[in-house]
Amino acid sequence: MSAASAPIVDIRHVSKSFGSLKALNNVSMSMSLGEKVVIIGPSGSGKSTLLRSINKLETVDSGTIIVDGFDINAPTTNINSLRMELGMVFQSFNLFPHKTVLENLTLAPIKLKGMSKAEADEIALKLLDKVGIKEKAHAYPAQLSGGQQQRVAIARALAMSPKIMLFDEPTSALDPEMIGEVLDVMVTLAKEGMTMAVVTHEMGFAREVADRVVFMDHGAIIEEGTPEHFFVNPEHDRTKLFLSQIL
Amino acid sequence: MSDTRIIDVGEGAAIPSKSDWGLFNAWTISIIGALAAILYLVIAQPNPYQRLLVYLADGVVITFQVTVMSILCACVIGLITGLGRVSRNKAINLLASTYVEIIRGIPLLVQLFYIYYALGRFLNVHDLTAAIIAMSVCYGAYMGEVFRAGITAIDKGQTEAARSLGFNTKQTMFLVILPQAWRTILPPVGNEFIALLKDTSLVSILAVSDLLRRGREFSSETFLYFETYTMVALIYLVITLILSKGVSIMEARLSHYVRR
Ligand SMILES: Nc1ncnc2c1ncn2[C@@H]1O[C@H](COP(=O)(O)OP(=O)(O)OP(=O)(O)O)[C@@H](O)[C@H]1O
Ligand SMILES: [Mg+2]
Repeated sequence: MSAASAPIVDIRHVSKSFGSLKALNNVSMSMSLGEKVVIIGPSGSGKSTLLRSINKLETVDSGTIIVDGFDINAPTTNINSLRMELGMVFQSFNLFPHKTVLENLTLAPIKLKGMSKAEADEIALKLLDKVGIKEKAHAYPAQLSGGQQQRVAIARALAMSPKIMLFDEPTSALDPEMIGEVLDVMVTLAKEGMTMAVVTHEMGFAREVADRVVFMDHGAIIEEGTPEHFFVNPEHDRTKLFLSQIL
Repeated sequence: MSDTRIIDVGEGAAIPSKSDWGLFNAWTISIIGALAAILYLVIAQPNPYQRLLVYLADGVVITFQVTVMSILCACVIGLITGLGRVSRNKAINLLASTYVEIIRGIPLLVQLFYIYYALGRFLNVHDLTAAIIAMSVCYGAYMGEVFRAGITAIDKGQTEAARSLGFNTKQTMFLVILPQAWRTILPPVGNEFIALLKDTSLVSILAVSDLLRRGREFSSETFLYFETYTMVALIYLVITLILSKGVSIMEARLSHYVRR
Protein backbone atom coordinates (compact mmCIF):
# COMPACT_ATOMS: atom_id res chain seq x y z
CA MET A 1 0.00 0.00 0.00
CA SER A 2 1.42 3.37 -1.02
CA ALA A 3 2.30 6.00 1.52
CA ALA A 4 0.00 8.84 2.44
CA SER A 5 1.31 11.00 -0.38
CA ALA A 6 -1.45 11.80 -2.88
CA PRO A 7 -4.86 11.82 -1.19
CA ILE A 8 -7.38 9.36 -2.61
CA VAL A 9 -10.22 11.67 -1.60
CA ASP A 10 -9.63 15.39 -1.71
CA ILE A 11 -12.49 17.71 -0.82
CA ARG A 12 -11.70 21.39 -1.36
CA HIS A 13 -13.82 24.35 -0.31
CA VAL A 14 -17.10 22.56 -0.85
CA SER A 15 -20.42 24.27 -0.20
CA LYS A 16 -23.93 23.01 -0.63
CA SER A 17 -27.28 24.61 0.15
CA PHE A 18 -30.77 23.21 0.35
CA GLY A 19 -32.85 26.28 -0.36
CA SER A 20 -31.67 28.87 2.12
CA LEU A 21 -30.09 26.29 4.39
CA LYS A 22 -26.34 25.88 4.11
CA ALA A 23 -25.77 22.16 4.63
CA LEU A 24 -22.05 22.44 3.81
CA ASN A 25 -20.17 25.65 4.29
CA ASN A 26 -16.70 25.75 2.71
CA VAL A 27 -15.64 22.30 3.82
CA SER A 28 -12.20 20.92 3.02
CA MET A 29 -11.04 17.45 3.95
CA SER A 30 -8.81 14.83 2.47
CA MET A 31 -8.18 11.15 2.98
CA SER A 32 -5.16 9.11 2.08
CA LEU A 33 -5.21 5.50 0.99
CA GLY A 34 -5.92 3.15 3.86
CA GLU A 35 -6.98 5.93 6.18
CA LYS A 36 -10.05 5.61 8.39
CA VAL A 37 -11.90 8.81 9.06
CA VAL A 38 -14.81 8.96 11.45
CA ILE A 39 -17.15 11.91 11.07
CA ILE A 40 -19.18 12.95 14.10
CA GLY A 41 -21.46 15.84 14.90
CA PRO A 42 -24.98 16.77 15.95
CA SER A 43 -28.03 16.00 13.84
CA GLY A 44 -28.33 18.24 10.81
CA SER A 45 -24.68 19.27 10.90
CA GLY A 46 -24.06 18.09 7.33
CA LYS A 47 -22.33 14.74 7.93
CA SER A 48 -24.49 12.80 5.50
CA THR A 49 -24.38 15.55 2.94
CA LEU A 50 -20.58 15.56 3.06
CA LEU A 51 -20.36 11.78 2.77
CA ARG A 52 -22.94 11.63 -0.01
CA SER A 53 -21.21 14.32 -1.99
CA ILE A 54 -18.11 12.11 -2.21
CA ASN A 55 -19.97 9.72 -4.51
CA LYS A 56 -22.14 12.47 -5.95
CA LEU A 57 -25.42 11.32 -4.47
CA GLU A 58 -25.49 15.01 -3.60
CA THR A 59 -24.09 17.47 -6.10
CA VAL A 60 -22.22 20.31 -4.44
CA ASP A 61 -22.81 23.94 -5.39
CA SER A 62 -19.17 24.98 -5.33
CA GLY A 63 -15.73 23.62 -4.60
CA THR A 64 -14.08 20.50 -5.99
CA ILE A 65 -14.03 16.87 -4.97
CA ILE A 66 -11.24 14.68 -6.34
CA VAL A 67 -11.62 10.93 -5.94
CA ASP A 68 -8.78 8.66 -7.04
CA GLY A 69 -7.47 11.44 -9.26
CA PHE A 70 -10.80 12.28 -10.90
CA ASP A 71 -12.76 15.47 -10.35
CA ILE A 72 -16.19 13.94 -9.75
CA ASN A 73 -18.00 16.98 -11.06
CA ALA A 74 -15.98 17.31 -14.25
CA PRO A 75 -18.07 16.64 -17.34
CA THR A 76 -15.41 14.24 -18.61
CA THR A 77 -15.62 12.04 -15.51
CA ASN A 78 -17.77 8.94 -15.83
CA ILE A 79 -19.44 9.03 -12.45
CA ASN A 80 -20.86 5.53 -12.83
CA SER A 81 -17.48 3.89 -13.21
CA LEU A 82 -16.06 6.05 -10.43
CA ARG A 83 -18.89 4.96 -8.12
CA MET A 84 -17.79 1.35 -8.60
CA GLU A 85 -14.70 2.28 -6.59
CA LEU A 86 -16.80 3.79 -3.82
CA GLY A 87 -18.82 1.34 -1.77
CA MET A 88 -21.62 2.88 0.24
CA VAL A 89 -23.52 1.56 3.24
CA PHE A 90 -26.72 3.31 4.29
CA GLN A 91 -28.46 3.66 7.59
CA SER A 92 -31.54 1.94 6.17
CA PHE A 93 -29.62 -0.92 4.46
CA ASN A 94 -31.45 -0.45 1.15
CA LEU A 95 -31.09 -4.05 0.06
CA PHE A 96 -33.01 -5.00 -3.07
CA PRO A 97 -36.09 -6.77 -1.67
CA HIS A 98 -36.90 -8.58 -4.91
CA LYS A 99 -33.50 -10.28 -5.02
CA THR A 100 -32.09 -12.98 -2.78
CA VAL A 101 -29.13 -12.16 -0.58
CA LEU A 102 -26.79 -13.78 -3.10
CA GLU A 103 -28.37 -11.90 -6.01
CA ASN A 104 -28.04 -8.65 -4.08
CA LEU A 105 -24.29 -9.26 -4.06
CA THR A 106 -23.91 -10.52 -7.63
CA LEU A 107 -26.18 -8.11 -9.51
CA ALA A 108 -23.67 -5.30 -9.87
CA PRO A 109 -20.56 -7.44 -10.59
CA ILE A 110 -22.45 -9.36 -13.30
CA LYS A 111 -24.12 -6.38 -14.93
CA LEU A 112 -21.40 -3.80 -14.47
CA LYS A 113 -18.18 -5.76 -14.57
CA GLY A 114 -19.37 -8.44 -16.96
CA MET A 115 -18.44 -11.12 -14.47
CA SER A 116 -19.75 -14.63 -15.09
CA LYS A 117 -22.46 -15.81 -12.72
CA ALA A 118 -20.23 -18.60 -11.42
CA GLU A 119 -17.39 -16.23 -10.62
CA ALA A 120 -19.70 -13.65 -9.07
CA ASP A 121 -21.37 -16.35 -6.96
CA GLU A 122 -18.02 -17.58 -5.72
CA ILE A 123 -16.88 -14.12 -4.70
CA ALA A 124 -20.27 -13.37 -3.14
CA LEU A 125 -20.26 -16.55 -1.06
CA LYS A 126 -16.77 -15.75 0.21
CA LEU A 127 -17.93 -12.29 1.24
CA LEU A 128 -21.06 -13.67 2.89
CA ASP A 129 -18.87 -16.06 4.79
CA LYS A 130 -16.70 -13.17 5.84
CA VAL A 131 -19.64 -11.22 7.23
CA GLY A 132 -20.88 -14.43 8.87
CA ILE A 133 -24.11 -14.93 6.99
CA LYS A 134 -23.35 -17.50 4.32
CA GLU A 135 -26.24 -19.73 5.34
CA LYS A 136 -28.70 -16.99 4.34
CA ALA A 137 -27.45 -16.74 0.76
CA HIS A 138 -30.76 -17.83 -0.69
CA ALA A 139 -33.02 -15.96 1.70
CA TYR A 140 -34.74 -12.71 0.79
CA PRO A 141 -33.79 -9.54 2.67
CA ALA A 142 -37.19 -9.34 4.36
CA GLN A 143 -36.43 -12.64 6.08
CA LEU A 144 -33.32 -11.27 7.80
CA SER A 145 -32.85 -9.28 10.99
CA GLY A 146 -31.63 -5.70 10.76
CA GLY A 147 -28.10 -6.64 11.74
CA GLN A 148 -28.02 -9.40 9.16
CA GLN A 149 -29.36 -7.06 6.49
CA GLN A 150 -26.70 -4.49 7.23
CA ARG A 151 -23.97 -7.11 7.03
CA VAL A 152 -25.35 -8.16 3.64
CA ALA A 153 -25.35 -4.52 2.58
CA ILE A 154 -21.67 -4.23 3.51
CA ALA A 155 -20.92 -7.43 1.59
CA ARG A 156 -22.88 -6.10 -1.40
CA ALA A 157 -20.72 -2.99 -1.49
CA LEU A 158 -17.55 -5.06 -1.09
CA ALA A 159 -18.54 -7.31 -3.99
CA MET A 160 -17.56 -4.52 -6.35
CA SER A 161 -14.05 -4.49 -4.78
CA PRO A 162 -14.19 -0.78 -3.99
CA LYS A 163 -11.14 1.24 -3.02
CA ILE A 164 -13.06 3.27 -0.50
CA MET A 165 -16.03 2.46 1.72
CA LEU A 166 -18.47 5.12 2.86
CA PHE A 167 -20.71 4.37 5.85
CA ASP A 168 -23.59 6.67 6.80
CA GLU A 169 -24.67 5.79 10.34
CA PRO A 170 -24.64 2.06 9.58
CA THR A 171 -25.80 1.06 13.05
CA SER A 172 -28.31 3.82 13.84
CA ALA A 173 -31.34 1.87 12.63
CA LEU A 174 -30.39 -1.28 14.52
CA ASP A 175 -31.64 -2.73 17.76
CA PRO A 176 -28.88 -2.39 20.37
CA GLU A 177 -28.13 -6.12 20.45
CA MET A 178 -27.33 -6.10 16.74
CA ILE A 179 -24.96 -3.16 16.67
CA GLY A 180 -21.99 -5.26 17.75
CA GLU A 181 -22.17 -7.75 14.89
CA VAL A 182 -22.10 -4.94 12.32
CA LEU A 183 -19.31 -3.04 14.05
CA ASP A 184 -17.27 -6.25 14.19
CA VAL A 185 -17.45 -6.57 10.43
CA MET A 186 -16.40 -2.95 10.06
CA VAL A 187 -13.48 -3.37 12.44
CA THR A 188 -12.29 -6.39 10.48
CA LEU A 189 -12.53 -4.41 7.29
CA ALA A 190 -10.54 -1.59 8.82
CA LYS A 191 -7.84 -3.96 9.97
CA GLU A 192 -7.53 -5.30 6.44
CA GLY A 193 -6.53 -1.82 5.35
CA MET A 194 -9.71 -0.58 3.71
CA THR A 195 -10.00 3.17 3.24
CA MET A 196 -13.09 4.15 5.18
CA ALA A 197 -15.17 7.24 5.86
CA VAL A 198 -17.67 6.53 8.61
CA VAL A 199 -20.42 8.73 9.97
CA THR A 200 -21.36 7.27 13.34
CA HIS A 201 -22.32 7.95 16.91
CA GLU A 202 -20.42 4.86 18.07
CA MET A 203 -17.58 6.47 19.95
CA GLY A 204 -16.09 3.10 20.90
CA PHE A 205 -15.67 2.34 17.22
CA ALA A 206 -14.14 5.77 16.60
CA ARG A 207 -11.63 5.22 19.37
CA GLU A 208 -10.67 1.77 18.21
CA VAL A 209 -10.52 2.27 14.48
CA ALA A 210 -10.22 5.91 13.49
CA ASP A 211 -6.96 7.39 12.30
CA ARG A 212 -8.69 10.71 12.40
CA VAL A 213 -11.92 12.04 13.85
CA VAL A 214 -13.71 14.95 12.19
CA PHE A 215 -16.24 16.98 14.14
CA MET A 216 -18.84 18.90 12.15
CA ASP A 217 -21.38 21.47 13.18
CA HIS A 218 -23.62 23.75 11.12
CA GLY A 219 -22.16 22.52 7.84
CA ALA A 220 -18.55 23.16 8.77
CA ILE A 221 -15.65 21.12 10.11
CA ILE A 222 -15.01 22.54 13.56
CA GLU A 223 -12.16 20.34 14.63
CA GLU A 224 -10.26 17.28 13.51
CA GLY A 225 -7.58 15.14 15.03
CA THR A 226 -6.62 11.74 16.36
CA PRO A 227 -9.06 9.93 18.64
CA GLU A 228 -6.64 10.59 21.54
CA HIS A 229 -6.78 14.30 20.88
CA PHE A 230 -10.54 14.21 20.64
CA PHE A 231 -11.46 12.17 23.63
CA VAL A 232 -8.75 13.45 25.94
CA ASN A 233 -8.44 17.15 25.26
CA PRO A 234 -10.71 18.57 22.57
CA GLU A 235 -10.04 22.24 21.84
CA HIS A 236 -13.34 23.77 20.91
CA ASP A 237 -16.20 24.36 23.26
CA ARG A 238 -18.72 23.04 20.77
CA THR A 239 -16.76 19.81 20.48
CA LYS A 240 -16.60 19.49 24.26
CA LEU A 241 -20.31 20.12 24.54
CA PHE A 242 -21.13 17.56 21.89
CA LEU A 243 -18.85 14.94 23.40
CA SER A 244 -20.23 15.53 26.86
CA GLN A 245 -23.72 14.92 25.53
CA ILE A 246 -22.87 11.78 23.62
CA LEU A 247 -20.37 10.02 25.88
CA MET B 1 -50.13 -11.72 1.00
CA SER B 2 -51.78 -10.41 4.08
CA ASP B 3 -54.73 -12.18 5.56
CA THR B 4 -57.16 -9.31 5.38
CA ARG B 5 -57.73 -8.47 1.76
CA ILE B 6 -58.51 -4.93 0.81
CA ILE B 7 -62.10 -4.61 -0.20
CA ASP B 8 -62.13 -2.84 -3.53
CA VAL B 9 -65.56 -1.77 -4.62
CA GLY B 10 -64.27 0.20 -7.58
CA GLU B 11 -63.61 -1.57 -10.84
CA GLY B 12 -62.85 -4.57 -8.72
CA ALA B 13 -59.85 -6.64 -9.77
CA ALA B 14 -59.66 -7.94 -6.25
CA ILE B 15 -62.96 -9.40 -5.26
CA PRO B 16 -63.56 -9.01 -1.56
CA SER B 17 -63.50 -12.44 -0.06
CA LYS B 18 -61.97 -14.15 2.92
CA SER B 19 -60.86 -17.29 1.17
CA ASP B 20 -60.12 -16.99 -2.50
CA TRP B 21 -60.79 -20.60 -3.30
CA GLY B 22 -63.85 -21.16 -1.16
CA LEU B 23 -67.04 -22.00 -3.04
CA PHE B 24 -69.20 -19.25 -1.63
CA ASN B 25 -67.46 -16.08 -2.57
CA ALA B 26 -68.79 -13.35 -4.81
CA TRP B 27 -66.70 -14.41 -7.75
CA THR B 28 -67.72 -18.05 -7.74
CA ILE B 29 -71.36 -17.25 -7.24
CA SER B 30 -71.30 -14.73 -10.06
CA ILE B 31 -69.51 -16.89 -12.57
CA ILE B 32 -71.52 -20.02 -11.82
CA GLY B 33 -74.71 -17.98 -11.86
CA ALA B 34 -73.88 -16.36 -15.19
CA LEU B 35 -72.82 -19.59 -16.85
CA ALA B 36 -75.84 -21.42 -15.50
CA ALA B 37 -78.15 -18.71 -16.75
CA ILE B 38 -76.64 -18.84 -20.23
CA LEU B 39 -76.84 -22.62 -20.29
CA TYR B 40 -80.41 -22.64 -19.00
CA LEU B 41 -81.62 -20.10 -21.56
CA VAL B 42 -79.95 -21.89 -24.46
CA ILE B 43 -81.38 -25.26 -23.46
CA ALA B 44 -84.80 -24.16 -22.27
CA GLN B 45 -85.44 -21.73 -25.11
CA PRO B 46 -83.22 -22.68 -28.04
CA ASN B 47 -85.18 -20.22 -30.06
CA PRO B 48 -84.07 -17.44 -29.92
CA TYR B 49 -81.18 -17.96 -27.46
CA GLN B 50 -79.25 -20.55 -29.44
CA ARG B 51 -79.52 -18.45 -32.57
CA LEU B 52 -78.57 -15.39 -30.57
CA LEU B 53 -75.51 -17.03 -29.08
CA VAL B 54 -74.25 -18.10 -32.48
CA TYR B 55 -74.91 -14.62 -33.81
CA LEU B 56 -73.05 -12.96 -30.95
CA ALA B 57 -70.04 -15.28 -31.14
CA ASP B 58 -68.35 -13.16 -33.83
CA GLY B 59 -68.84 -10.12 -31.65
CA VAL B 60 -67.22 -11.86 -28.68
CA VAL B 61 -64.15 -12.55 -30.81
CA ILE B 62 -63.94 -8.91 -31.86
CA THR B 63 -64.42 -7.64 -28.30
CA PHE B 64 -61.71 -10.02 -27.20
CA GLN B 65 -59.38 -8.85 -29.94
CA VAL B 66 -59.93 -5.19 -29.17
CA THR B 67 -59.44 -5.81 -25.45
CA VAL B 68 -56.25 -7.85 -25.71
CA MET B 69 -54.62 -5.67 -28.33
CA SER B 70 -55.59 -2.47 -26.53
CA ILE B 71 -54.31 -3.80 -23.22
CA LEU B 72 -50.95 -4.69 -24.74
CA CYS B 73 -50.59 -1.36 -26.55
CA ALA B 74 -51.86 0.63 -23.57
CA CYS B 75 -49.31 -1.09 -21.32
CA VAL B 76 -46.48 -0.15 -23.64
CA ILE B 77 -47.74 3.42 -23.99
CA GLY B 78 -48.37 3.53 -20.24
CA LEU B 79 -44.86 2.38 -19.40
CA ILE B 80 -43.31 4.92 -21.76
CA THR B 81 -45.58 7.66 -20.41
CA GLY B 82 -44.89 6.69 -16.81
CA LEU B 83 -41.14 6.75 -17.42
CA GLY B 84 -41.56 10.10 -19.16
CA ARG B 85 -43.46 11.46 -16.18
CA VAL B 86 -40.64 10.59 -13.79
CA SER B 87 -37.90 11.62 -16.21
CA ARG B 88 -35.61 14.44 -15.19
CA ASN B 89 -35.43 15.49 -18.82
CA LYS B 90 -37.72 18.53 -18.88
CA ALA B 91 -38.83 18.14 -22.50
CA ILE B 92 -39.75 14.48 -22.13
CA ASN B 93 -41.46 15.17 -18.83
CA LEU B 94 -43.50 18.00 -20.31
CA LEU B 95 -44.47 15.92 -23.33
CA ALA B 96 -45.69 13.02 -21.18
CA SER B 97 -47.55 15.31 -18.77
CA THR B 98 -49.26 17.16 -21.59
CA TYR B 99 -50.38 13.92 -23.18
CA VAL B 100 -51.89 12.75 -19.91
CA GLU B 101 -53.52 16.12 -19.29
CA ILE B 102 -55.14 16.24 -22.73
CA ILE B 103 -56.41 12.68 -22.64
CA ARG B 104 -57.83 13.09 -19.15
CA GLY B 105 -59.67 16.20 -20.23
CA ILE B 106 -61.67 14.60 -23.03
CA PRO B 107 -64.41 12.00 -22.57
CA LEU B 108 -63.44 8.59 -23.89
CA LEU B 109 -66.33 8.50 -26.32
CA VAL B 110 -65.32 11.82 -27.85
CA GLN B 111 -61.73 10.61 -28.10
CA LEU B 112 -62.88 7.45 -29.79
CA PHE B 113 -64.83 9.37 -32.39
CA TYR B 114 -62.03 11.82 -32.86
CA ILE B 115 -59.15 9.39 -33.22
CA TYR B 116 -61.25 7.00 -35.22
CA TYR B 117 -62.37 9.56 -37.77
CA ALA B 118 -59.05 11.38 -37.81
CA LEU B 119 -57.21 8.14 -38.49
CA GLY B 120 -59.83 7.05 -41.01
CA ARG B 121 -59.70 10.36 -42.82
CA PHE B 122 -55.99 11.06 -42.95
CA LEU B 123 -54.39 7.65 -42.75
CA ASN B 124 -57.09 5.39 -44.09
CA VAL B 125 -56.63 2.95 -41.23
CA HIS B 126 -58.77 -0.15 -40.96
CA ASP B 127 -61.79 0.17 -38.63
CA LEU B 128 -60.69 -2.37 -36.09
CA THR B 129 -57.15 -1.00 -35.99
CA ALA B 130 -58.44 2.53 -35.51
CA ALA B 131 -60.61 1.41 -32.61
CA ILE B 132 -57.66 -0.36 -30.99
CA ILE B 133 -55.42 2.67 -31.42
CA ALA B 134 -58.07 4.95 -29.95
CA MET B 135 -58.56 2.71 -26.92
CA SER B 136 -54.80 2.36 -26.44
CA VAL B 137 -54.08 6.06 -26.66
CA CYS B 138 -56.73 6.76 -24.08
CA TYR B 139 -55.91 3.98 -21.65
CA GLY B 140 -52.17 4.51 -22.18
CA ALA B 141 -52.53 7.85 -20.44
CA TYR B 142 -54.36 6.36 -17.45
CA MET B 143 -51.88 3.53 -17.20
CA GLY B 144 -49.08 6.05 -17.45
CA GLU B 145 -50.35 7.56 -14.23
CA VAL B 146 -50.51 4.13 -12.62
CA PHE B 147 -46.94 3.38 -13.67
CA ARG B 148 -45.76 6.76 -12.44
CA ALA B 149 -47.39 6.22 -9.07
CA GLY B 150 -45.88 2.73 -8.85
CA ILE B 151 -42.41 3.98 -9.68
CA THR B 152 -42.50 6.92 -7.29
CA ALA B 153 -43.79 4.67 -4.50
CA ILE B 154 -40.48 2.81 -4.42
CA ASP B 155 -38.24 4.04 -1.64
CA LYS B 156 -35.62 6.59 -2.70
CA GLY B 157 -33.01 4.46 -0.94
CA GLN B 158 -33.37 1.82 -3.65
CA THR B 159 -32.30 4.26 -6.32
CA GLU B 160 -29.47 5.52 -4.15
CA ALA B 161 -28.22 2.01 -3.43
CA ALA B 162 -28.27 1.12 -7.12
CA ARG B 163 -26.61 4.35 -8.21
CA SER B 164 -23.94 4.03 -5.53
CA LEU B 165 -23.03 0.61 -6.92
CA GLY B 166 -22.42 2.22 -10.30
CA PHE B 167 -25.68 1.54 -12.15
CA ASN B 168 -26.80 4.30 -14.49
CA THR B 169 -30.34 5.69 -14.46
CA LYS B 170 -31.63 3.24 -17.02
CA GLN B 171 -30.14 0.17 -15.34
CA THR B 172 -31.46 1.39 -12.01
CA MET B 173 -34.94 1.71 -13.46
CA PHE B 174 -35.04 -1.65 -15.21
CA LEU B 175 -33.05 -3.80 -12.77
CA VAL B 176 -34.12 -2.35 -9.46
CA ILE B 177 -37.13 -0.05 -9.57
CA LEU B 178 -39.52 -1.58 -12.12
CA PRO B 179 -39.20 -5.18 -10.88
CA GLN B 180 -40.37 -3.90 -7.50
CA ALA B 181 -42.91 -1.45 -8.83
CA TRP B 182 -44.80 -4.28 -10.54
CA ARG B 183 -46.15 -5.33 -7.23
CA THR B 184 -47.81 -2.01 -6.49
CA ILE B 185 -48.68 -1.38 -10.11
CA LEU B 186 -50.46 -4.64 -10.83
CA PRO B 187 -53.67 -4.21 -8.81
CA PRO B 188 -54.54 -0.79 -10.27
CA VAL B 189 -53.41 -1.96 -13.72
CA GLY B 190 -55.73 -4.94 -13.33
CA ASN B 191 -58.54 -2.51 -12.60
CA GLU B 192 -57.65 -0.61 -15.75
CA PHE B 193 -57.76 -3.85 -17.74
CA ILE B 194 -61.27 -4.56 -16.56
CA ALA B 195 -62.41 -0.99 -17.12
CA LEU B 196 -60.90 -1.16 -20.59
CA LEU B 197 -62.70 -4.40 -21.37
CA LYS B 198 -66.02 -2.85 -20.44
CA ASP B 199 -65.24 0.35 -22.29
CA THR B 200 -64.61 -1.57 -25.50
CA SER B 201 -68.40 -1.66 -25.73
CA LEU B 202 -68.10 1.98 -26.76
CA VAL B 203 -66.44 0.99 -30.02
CA SER B 204 -69.77 -0.47 -31.07
CA ILE B 205 -70.71 3.11 -31.91
CA LEU B 206 -68.01 3.04 -34.55
CA ALA B 207 -68.24 0.56 -37.39
CA VAL B 208 -66.71 -2.23 -35.32
CA SER B 209 -68.81 -5.35 -34.91
CA ASP B 210 -68.03 -6.08 -31.31
CA LEU B 211 -70.30 -7.93 -28.91
CA LEU B 212 -72.56 -4.98 -28.21
CA ARG B 213 -72.90 -3.99 -31.84
CA ARG B 214 -73.75 -7.55 -32.86
CA GLY B 215 -76.42 -7.46 -30.18
CA ARG B 216 -77.84 -4.22 -31.54
CA GLU B 217 -77.89 -5.63 -35.04
CA PHE B 218 -79.65 -8.78 -33.89
CA SER B 219 -82.25 -6.96 -31.87
CA SER B 220 -83.06 -4.44 -34.57
CA GLU B 221 -83.71 -7.30 -36.96
CA THR B 222 -85.73 -9.44 -34.57
CA PHE B 223 -87.10 -6.85 -32.12
CA LEU B 224 -86.06 -9.23 -29.32
CA TYR B 225 -84.50 -6.44 -27.27
CA PHE B 226 -84.92 -7.99 -23.83
CA GLU B 227 -83.60 -11.41 -24.85
CA THR B 228 -80.66 -9.94 -26.73
CA TYR B 229 -79.44 -7.63 -23.98
CA THR B 230 -79.90 -10.32 -21.35
CA MET B 231 -77.50 -12.49 -23.28
CA VAL B 232 -75.10 -9.61 -24.05
CA ALA B 233 -74.95 -8.65 -20.37
CA LEU B 234 -74.35 -12.24 -19.29
CA ILE B 235 -71.52 -12.68 -21.78
CA TYR B 236 -69.83 -9.43 -20.70
CA LEU B 237 -70.14 -10.55 -17.12
CA VAL B 238 -68.49 -13.90 -17.82
CA ILE B 239 -65.58 -12.32 -19.71
CA THR B 240 -65.05 -9.68 -17.03
CA LEU B 241 -65.09 -12.26 -14.26
CA ILE B 242 -62.56 -14.43 -16.05
CA LEU B 243 -60.27 -11.45 -16.61
CA SER B 244 -60.53 -10.32 -13.01
CA LYS B 245 -59.67 -13.83 -11.82
CA GLY B 246 -56.66 -13.85 -14.13
CA VAL B 247 -55.52 -10.56 -12.63
CA SER B 248 -55.87 -11.81 -9.03
CA ILE B 249 -53.90 -14.95 -9.85
CA MET B 250 -51.16 -12.85 -11.42
CA GLU B 251 -51.10 -10.62 -8.36
CA ALA B 252 -50.74 -13.57 -6.04
CA ARG B 253 -47.89 -14.96 -8.14
CA LEU B 254 -46.02 -11.67 -8.21
CA SER B 255 -46.40 -10.88 -4.56
CA HIS B 256 -44.59 -13.96 -3.30
CA TYR B 257 -41.17 -12.49 -2.70
CA VAL B 258 -41.70 -9.69 -0.23
CA ARG B 259 -42.95 -10.56 3.22
CA ARG B 260 -42.46 -7.36 5.06
N1 LIG C 1 -32.59 16.63 0.32
C1 LIG C 1 -32.64 17.63 1.23
N2 LIG C 1 -33.49 18.65 1.07
C2 LIG C 1 -33.55 19.66 1.96
N3 LIG C 1 -32.77 19.74 3.04
C3 LIG C 1 -31.90 18.75 3.26
C4 LIG C 1 -31.79 17.64 2.37
N4 LIG C 1 -30.83 16.82 2.85
C5 LIG C 1 -30.38 17.38 3.97
N5 LIG C 1 -31.01 18.54 4.24
C6 LIG C 1 -30.74 19.43 5.36
O1 LIG C 1 -29.37 19.72 5.36
C7 LIG C 1 -28.86 19.73 6.69
C8 LIG C 1 -27.72 18.75 6.80
O2 LIG C 1 -28.28 17.45 6.63
P1 LIG C 1 -27.45 16.13 6.82
O3 LIG C 1 -28.37 15.01 6.47
O4 LIG C 1 -26.20 16.21 6.07
O5 LIG C 1 -27.16 16.14 8.36
P2 LIG C 1 -26.54 15.00 9.26
O6 LIG C 1 -25.37 15.61 9.95
O7 LIG C 1 -26.31 13.79 8.47
O8 LIG C 1 -27.68 14.76 10.32
P3 LIG C 1 -28.22 13.41 10.97
O9 LIG C 1 -27.31 13.09 12.11
O10 LIG C 1 -29.58 13.79 11.44
O11 LIG C 1 -28.22 12.37 9.90
C9 LIG C 1 -30.02 19.40 7.60
O12 LIG C 1 -30.52 20.60 8.13
C10 LIG C 1 -31.04 18.78 6.69
O13 LIG C 1 -32.33 19.05 7.12
MG1 LIG D 1 -27.20 11.86 8.37
